[in-house]
Amino acid sequence: MIIEALIAVTFLAALVVFVAPDEYAGRLAAALSALPVLGSLWMWAQYDASGNALLGGSIAFETDVVWLTLGGLDLHWFVGVDGISLPLIVLTTILTTLAIVSAWTPIVERQSQFYGLMLFMEANLLGVFAALDFFAWFIFWEAVLVPMYFLIGVWGGPNRRYAAIKFFVYTNIASLVMFIGFIALVFGLGDSVSSMRLPEIAQALRAGELGAFAGLDAATLKTVAFVAMFLGFAVKVPVAPLHTWLPDAHVEAPTPVSVMLAGVLLKMGTYALLRFNFTMMPDVATALVVPIAAIAVISVIYGAMLALAQEDLKRIVAYSSVSSMGYVILGLIAYTTYGVGGATFQMIAHGLISGLMFMAVGVIYNTTHTRMVGDMSGIADRMPVTAGIFVAGAFGYMGLPLMAGFAGEFFIFKGSFESTVHAGMPLFTATAMFGIVIVAGYLLFAMQRTLFGPFSFDGEYEITNAPFHDVAPLAVLLLLTIVLGVAPDLFFGMIQDAVNPILTGGGL
Amino acid sequence: MVPPEYYLLLSAAVFCIGLFGILTRRNALLFLMSVELMLNAANINLVAFSYVWGNVTGQTLGLFTMALAAAEVAIGIGIILVLYRNFDGVDVTDATTMRW
Amino acid sequence: MAGILDFAPAIVLLPFVSFLVALSVGDRLPKGGAFAGIAATAGSLVLAIATVLTVAGGQTYDATIYTWAEGIDAVDLTFGVLIDPLSAMMLLIVTLIAFLVHVFSLGYMNDEGETGLPRYYAGLGLFTASMLGFVVADNLLMAFMFFELVGLCSYLLIGFHFREPGPPSAAKKAFLVTRFGDYFFLVGVVAVFATFGTAAFAGSESFPALAEAALNGEASVTTFGFEPQTWFTIVGLLVLGGVIGKSAQFPLHTWLPDAMEGPTPVSALIHAATMVAAGVYLVARMYGFYAISPTALAIIAFIGGFTALFAATMGLVKREIKQVLAYSTISQYGYMMLALGGGGYVAATFHLMTHAFFKALLFLGAGSVIIAMHHNENMWDMGGLKDKMPVTYYTFLAGSLALAGIFPFAGFWSKDEVLYETLIHGLGGSPLLLGAYAMGLLAVFFTGFYTFRMFFLTFHGNPRSQTAEDPHGVRWNVKGPLVVLGVLATVAGVVNMVPIEKLLGIGGIDFLHQWLDGGFEGLTAHHYADLIPYSSSYIGSEATTVAVGAAVSLGLALAGSGLAYLLYNVPEPIRHTDRLGRIKAVLYNNYYQDEYQVWLANGVARPLARVANKFDGGVVDGVVNGVSGVSLFAGGRVRRIQTGVVSNYAALLTLGLTALLLAFGILGGWFV
Repeated sequence: MIIEALIAVTFLAALVVFVAPDEYAGRLAAALSALPVLGSLWMWAQYDASGNALLGGSIAFETDVVWLTLGGLDLHWFVGVDGISLPLIVLTTILTTLAIVSAWTPIVERQSQFYGLMLFMEANLLGVFAALDFFAWFIFWEAVLVPMYFLIGVWGGPNRRYAAIKFFVYTNIASLVMFIGFIALVFGLGDSVSSMRLPEIAQALRAGELGAFAGLDAATLKTVAFVAMFLGFAVKVPVAPLHTWLPDAHVEAPTPVSVMLAGVLLKMGTYALLRFNFTMMPDVATALVVPIAAIAVISVIYGAMLALAQEDLKRIVAYSSVSSMGYVILGLIAYTTYGVGGATFQMIAHGLISGLMFMAVGVIYNTTHTRMVGDMSGIADRMPVTAGIFVAGAFGYMGLPLMAGFAGEFFIFKGSFESTVHAGMPLFTATAMFGIVIVAGYLLFAMQRTLFGPFSFDGEYEITNAPFHDVAPLAVLLLLTIVLGVAPDLFFGMIQDAVNPILTGGGL
Repeated sequence: MVPPEYYLLLSAAVFCIGLFGILTRRNALLFLMSVELMLNAANINLVAFSYVWGNVTGQTLGLFTMALAAAEVAIGIGIILVLYRNFDGVDVTDATTMRW
Repeated sequence: MAGILDFAPAIVLLPFVSFLVALSVGDRLPKGGAFAGIAATAGSLVLAIATVLTVAGGQTYDATIYTWAEGIDAVDLTFGVLIDPLSAMMLLIVTLIAFLVHVFSLGYMNDEGETGLPRYYAGLGLFTASMLGFVVADNLLMAFMFFELVGLCSYLLIGFHFREPGPPSAAKKAFLVTRFGDYFFLVGVVAVFATFGTAAFAGSESFPALAEAALNGEASVTTFGFEPQTWFTIVGLLVLGGVIGKSAQFPLHTWLPDAMEGPTPVSALIHAATMVAAGVYLVARMYGFYAISPTALAIIAFIGGFTALFAATMGLVKREIKQVLAYSTISQYGYMMLALGGGGYVAATFHLMTHAFFKALLFLGAGSVIIAMHHNENMWDMGGLKDKMPVTYYTFLAGSLALAGIFPFAGFWSKDEVLYETLIHGLGGSPLLLGAYAMGLLAVFFTGFYTFRMFFLTFHGNPRSQTAEDPHGVRWNVKGPLVVLGVLATVAGVVNMVPIEKLLGIGGIDFLHQWLDGGFEGLTAHHYADLIPYSSSYIGSEATTVAVGAAVSLGLALAGSGLAYLLYNVPEPIRHTDRLGRIKAVLYNNYYQDEYQVWLANGVARPLARVANKFDGGVVDGVVNGVSGVSLFAGGRVRRIQTGVVSNYAALLTLGLTALLLAFGILGGWFV
């Protein structure tokens, strides 16, 4: 029942905060959002399941009740976590709390509504990662978009409407494509499944029980569904060339929203790819290894090249997310313990580090009211603590060893280099790895120009140290990044445990 | 017994008169009347078939429709009054504020 | 058995603790946390000495101390400590230099009233800790991780004066150029894991041992469709990328002269004991892997020889004392690479050690001069400092003699052995090595010249500026380290007097050879000598070869030094190198190496990025906006049927119904 409690508490907190007066909505939201953090940490400490939730492993904190009976296909309220979803739940709760704290300074209008929507989004995100029934999952999945739309559209920058609508329509159309693909699969499975529970569907698909549907034979249907679902999730990730909603959304979104967008929402895409495409249809995935690996490599290199061309700090971080998520795809397609496990770990690592970078940019923006690289230099002179954390975060992004980013990237590289799904994997890996040089290039250039050198700033604002509550979330994230970098096994053990069943059977 | 074809012809004629009225008139009151004509064309059908089959369900439905038509006229007249108040007339082509 | 070697991790952890202390409470400590650093490195030094003594007693140590990532149905990724003669020796060098640099920093940073000292000492502590972690690493992954941390620390310390425009740029360049090399290294690490399933350095299950076994057909490894020999060469060259970056070998040497923007003690640490040494140390650490690949060895030797010569020529014309030293560092590491490629494992290690002493000495000496000159580094503003700072003068002289390779200073012995090993292996049938040898030999002459040009310009002649007439004094904390290093630079050669042994036939004074022949089987000098694909051949007898080689290199060194003496040991030296004309311009601009690399970054990568950005905004996003535009446009047109006139709607309705009926009728065959 802890998962229901977690989601319910968050929903209630959202309601309470929504009607609270603006003066203390931020404090109240932060305090209430600490509850899910404690809950998720308790879950992490108590976690004792093993195996993959979809492939017959034991499921922790499981609830499975019939919700609706629709002749033949029952809808269940079926939630639970395994080693893949639990780390993401922990990430979600922690990042939400920190994002809420980081919103105290920049958000000055309609505060109670802002924090209410943040909590509402958190509740849905928890649902996405915990739900094991397709119907419930899909509701949460779609419901995440709504608060996000308003968070960008109401509190965003000058071009916020365009960005919000683009985000909403783009990802919604993607969801539609994915939905059609999945439902086609369910119909193709016919009587071999009795509900929309993901484990049932996954196991039936891996057992090869798919039949013909809509004039397509089983093999074609599987490929078509795979491609449809891949495209649907790929928009969310996002991979090049389906990424263009991301920079716009990031640039317009206020800092805390960017943090959630990069830190958690992008992970929905990769999480779903792992859960659906790569767990349910490994045979199709390995048959399509060349295009998928190519997409991964293109995302990494192309995203990094785009970041190199940007002058807006936030755009730099936004495009580098495309690059980092490319690594995740590369790890997923590798079908090795380190590859898929590393990809899952990288989701967490990137969540922490991109959150850190967006917050750091936000703290600088709070003071300077500009994010353009050319508008300032030598900021480190006036904001030494922020600059120091910025540098540390940037090095984390570059994959400095003993920080979480390196662990994720190295696991992926190792896993995909030794992958046997295709003879060209070492070459793909080596090409993608060149991203670590480009990422160093653009972050170092940006830091040199903004943080260092003689102090100069054209604006009229006085630049001083940021308030404590702005810097504290940065410090917490940095600490977490280092802790996970030094001891990746905190999560990596359970991740591998959940990932390994994917790697055998199912036509592999 | 009058064969049902005659009823159908009558009904079709009434319906077409109503339709013609809607397509050609601009006066809202005439509109309302035309709608009534079309409604009653349907009523004729209901009653006629009820008579032919010897089943009263159709007649019941016809009564229903009349009640409905009364309600409809009440609302329709209300709308026309508002139309008159806002556009100084009952010409339906003037009231185009709901267009693209 | 809990011996002193169980405390080896403490050698690494002590400086790390000093990093934490300096970072957290450094501003509340006296001297900005300097004492924490000094105490930590002193502790490490003591432990390192104890380690060396224990290893001398024949003990070694190889233990996994931390499992970084425990693989389930996959390999574990671990941190371990490997103490063998090579790493013990390196530990001693690094801790000693780090300790002396910390002491020196009291004079260079604290006494000069620098701000940001806690940051400085935190950086030094982390730098030392990272390097020590790298030295004791027992597998390639751990080595890579600390290698990268070393890179981070160099970034932080080179960019220490971040308020000025130069240092941040230099720091960025240092990290970026070495990152480029590290990319290949990382691919190499991953490839090693994929090939062997392990990255351990020592033991029968280590990757060099497995590679050797695979070549002998005794083990099977994944070679991705290549011949094992070819694949091992590829992997070795990938790892070598990191080495070339960190050890500043051509063509990735360009970051190092710029790195002179960092405080001078940091330069000393980078050049003598930490970052630059890391590259060469790595090759020595996994020498068994390179030794089985003739191609890799030849490439290493050739890069080394070429770099030695190439950098030495650039050092000839520099104006600033630290710039000369920077190019000499590149050149000297070229020698070490030459030795490694030429099969002289012991020679390379030997040169690594002596170079650490004399280069640290020269940098600290230069630091002392810079203090005296109020941070003016231009040698043409110096002159006549000889009488005003005798301690610096004499120790600097010892360092210069060692760098130039003059008998009997430390540098002579090691450089001689480097050249000797290359020569005999070259004569043994490797013309490529002879070419590399020739370049190395030529570089000896240039080394002598630029070393003493620098020396005489700085200390001899008449003072050429106000500050040189009345230099700033230096204190014990500067002189102390200089004296220690001066002594070492003078006498360190005794650990390996091979020429004496060979010429006079005194057996057993090649202590370093014996030292490096101990430890783990498979990591011994003896084993490497068996592995290398070279045979030796001599000019006449072995003794003649030794004598001829030593005489030629000493003669060239003396000639170079003598020329510098003639030209620059005069009261008012003139800029003789200007007579070189256009050649000087080329040399002074470093053969325009920086230009093309900056061009690669600014002229290729950035325009390419801008093109990508245009493409992204125009085409990729254009398609997205295009789709939405088409939808909006179509919607805009179609909505015009929504006229607001009820009659039109009714007409549409009627027409629609009629059309539907017609369609049903035709399809349903009503009209047939």
